[in-house]
Amino acid sequence: MATASLPLLSPELLAQLERLELVSRKVFRGRMKGERRSSRKGQSVEFADFRSYVHGDDLRFIDWNTYARLDRLFLKLYLEEEDLHFYALIDASTSMTFGEPSKLAYAKQLAAALGFVGLVRSDRVKIETLGQPASSPGPVWRGRRSLWRMLNHLDQVEPGEQITLAQGVKNFCLRNSGKGILVLISDLLDKNGFQDALRYLVAQQMDTYVIHVLSQEELEPDVKGDLRLIDCEDQDVAEITVSAPLLKRYKQTLAAFVDSARDFCNRRGMNYLLANTQIPVDQLIASYLRKRGLVR
Amino acid sequence: MIDFFSRYFANTLSPLQWAALSLVPPAIVALYFLKLKRQPLEVPSTYLWHKSIEDLHVNSIWQRLRQSLLLFLQLLLIALVMLTLLKPSWQSSRLAGGRYIFLIDNSASMGATDIEPTRLEAAKKRALSLIDEMKSGDAAMVISFADSAQVEQSYTDNRNELRRHVEAIKLTDRTTSLADALRVAAGLANPGRSQFSGPDVQVADAVPAKLYIFSDGKFPDVKDFSLGNLDPIYEPIGTETAANVAIAAFNTAQHEVNTDLLQAFGRVENFGLEPVSVDVELLVDDQLIDAQRVTVEPGNSEGLAFPLEGVQSGVLKLKAGIDDALAVDNLAWTTINPPQPMKVLLVTPGNRPLALALATEKVRALAQVVEHSPDYLKQPDYQKQAASGNFDLIIYDRCRPDQMPQADTMLIDRLPAGDAWKVGEAVSAPQIIDTDRAHPLMQIVEMGDVIVAEAKPLFPPPGSTVLIDTNAGPICAIAPREGYEDLVFGLALFDSERLDTNWCLRPSFPVFVLNLLEYLGGTRAALMSGSVLPGQTVTWRSDTAGETIEVVLPSKATAEVGRGKLNAFHFSGTSEVGIYEVREKGKTTGHFAVNLFDPLESNIHPRPELKIGDTKVGGTAQREPARYDAWKLILLAALAVLLFEWYIYNRRVYV
Repeated sequence: MATASLPLLSPELLAQLERLELVSRKVFRGRMKGERRSSRKGQSVEFADFRSYVHGDDLRFIDWNTYARLDRLFLKLYLEEEDLHFYALIDASTSMTFGEPSKLAYAKQLAAALGFVGLVRSDRVKIETLGQPASSPGPVWRGRRSLWRMLNHLDQVEPGEQITLAQGVKNFCLRNSGKGILVLISDLLDKNGFQDALRYLVAQQMDTYVIHVLSQEELEPDVKGDLRLIDCEDQDVAEITVSAPLLKRYKQTLAAFVDSARDFCNRRGMNYLLANTQIPVDQLIASYLRKRGLVR
Repeated sequence: MIDFFSRYFANTLSPLQWAALSLVPPAIVALYFLKLKRQPLEVPSTYLWHKSIEDLHVNSIWQRLRQSLLLFLQLLLIALVMLTLLKPSWQSSRLAGGRYIFLIDNSASMGATDIEPTRLEAAKKRALSLIDEMKSGDAAMVISFADSAQVEQSYTDNRNELRRHVEAIKLTDRTTSLADALRVAAGLANPGRSQFSGPDVQVADAVPAKLYIFSDGKFPDVKDFSLGNLDPIYEPIGTETAANVAIAAFNTAQHEVNTDLLQAFGRVENFGLEPVSVDVELLVDDQLIDAQRVTVEPGNSEGLAFPLEGVQSGVLKLKAGIDDALAVDNLAWTTINPPQPMKVLLVTPGNRPLALALATEKVRALAQVVEHSPDYLKQPDYQKQAASGNFDLIIYDRCRPDQMPQADTMLIDRLPAGDAWKVGEAVSAPQIIDTDRAHPLMQIVEMGDVIVAEAKPLFPPPGSTVLIDTNAGPICAIAPREGYEDLVFGLALFDSERLDTNWCLRPSFPVFVLNLLEYLGGTRAALMSGSVLPGQTVTWRSDTAGETIEVVLPSKATAEVGRGKLNAFHFSGTSEVGIYEVREKGKTTGHFAVNLFDPLESNIHPRPELKIGDTKVGGTAQREPARYDAWKLILLAALAVLLFEWYIYNRRVYV
């Protein structure tokens, strides 16, 4: 749980990540010139199309060769290359402190890794937590040299944010109206349900990835006897007597919960990924996220 | 509240058992709270768990109610168990008012130790268990009986009171008689019985009662008793194989040949099933002077004789050195009291045949005769002695006192003072037609050859007994007077001037005189024989003029006895065996012994059945209390099983 002491990114992982890039199924309009082609026509080396010259067009883009051959003025259009907005939204609630490694540490590591990929490709990287107020947008990083600032920022993320998932996502949406890739890293264990939160994201029209982080003790609870379960967030109490039928019932409930989340995401064009904290981050990125098409 | 409780419930457990039982409900609740005291565990979210539990709950109502419901069920169960142990019951018209009478034998034989600790304790224990089983509204009565019955507790439904009185019953050394106890018991069961003839008036409804007799049956069959509404149940106490050796007799007598020498005779009887060898010791004033070893076959007895050389007086104790079931009959006592002949005053103007008859050897051994002329009656010495009862018998020959003395009297040819007696005119030659041969005075007195020349017929007062009857009327009669007896003759037995009868010349006359002395001085003679049974009354005669004597019991307690009728002291507190010491004015004047010479008591094997009137009462087995205990044990075992089940339920992890 002491996430700050763990190195978020090891050199090996960095080396591995350098070869990757973030992929967006949607091509968005960036604000600055980047390394991605944009749907916008603009200034780049890649030719896109011709169009007739109208009055007021920049004379510099007139294709003089065509004019010489056809005696008409055509304008040469080039594809604009733009940057990509990458957002990572981390759930830093108390429930994320569980597991070994803790879910929060896992989430930070994952965010750092994906953020690093973005930085390397000159994307616009922004990592926020759910608890960040709507009025104060967090810092934005761009370029490899911003890596250490990003990692410092991540190190300062502490668990214990008291905010519902829906409210946190809503705040995020209010802060960030632009398009891009959003990776929501959360355990989705909100008593009010995750559906409302995800609906905000649907409206945001982002390329959304929901990485559902669950620890081993949540997936395969190793408990026995008569227990008084205390919810770490709202101190809610559940008294259970562990028995085989109860454990069976719990697993069924968990499976139903995961299925409902996956189903909800799939229906709304979001990518859903269940991540067990026991799976190393590099492996998760290299195999699972690659298959999902988040990275290439 | 208590009234309500005792009316509807009967306590079956001792306070200790209740205390143990009362720990059970707190234990159940404690186990429940142990269950509630779950180990706290912090989890990321109870969201999924709640959903899981809810799913389980939704599956069945039973699942939801299971936890608390089990507690409620168990508390209900323990409440029911406790209620069962309280034996809830209430009066219905059919069962109401059961009556029980517990007759508990506390005679000497109940002290036998063949049942630990004693038979009496065993009998009390059985009676107590029956009292515990009594239903509400039942009433019971407790009677202890030995040679007489004592109502320890009259009818009550208060079980504590009954229990207390049963526990207070003490062992006695007395013999046993059931008849008295039965008469006491029958009082309420068979009311309205009167001794008077004519139609009975029913004064109360007869209440049938169950009569429990806890005894070893060592008493004579009860004759002439109708049980009526009593339903007898005889519970024999004791074992058939108990061994007992008893001293059946112990006394002293003069040697047949050498009359100066005293001998002590004892008899040892074996009531066991095996032959025994017993060392019998004789102690005089607690000094061992002789010992003999005898071997007694079962059912037989062996006699023992000890010469008592140089022993003139003292307390003799015979001790059978054996450890058997009944200890009280292994000791016997007798006394050699200094001889105390009766005192006879003969007031006569001269009566040679009577003087001769009073001078026989046998009479001299019995009595000390003082002779005076009729003038003596006027002297103050006579007045004093007659009033103090110093004489046992005063014979007035042809003279009459002005006032009857404190003594038995015989009057010849005169009537006693007062006007109770009447006499008729003199009759010539009356014929003797009858004598009362049943009376001790007239035993073996043959009057057939006696001729009477002249006599005055007597008209004795009511209650008197005519001893000699003639055709002219009775000429000899005896009548009681304030504890004494007056014997009156209507003729002069002897007169130097004329002869009224030839009886004085016949052999029957000295026999009659001896009868007279033995009969009227009989109490003292009886005491000389030495021993009485426990519970019997001892009559002690004293020469001193004191109004009280002091009796020191074997237990060293003292009792003061006032002068009673016949100038004697009657002491009835002989419930212990042993030597009783008599003191007069602080000085020991004699001893008497109380011994259990009763073969019925010593033969301690219990009788299998009783006979009361014409009813035979078989002994019941001891099964009832045993069965009674069993269900309690089973119930407690069930309780233990239930607790165990509860524990298992709580501790199980994977079912």
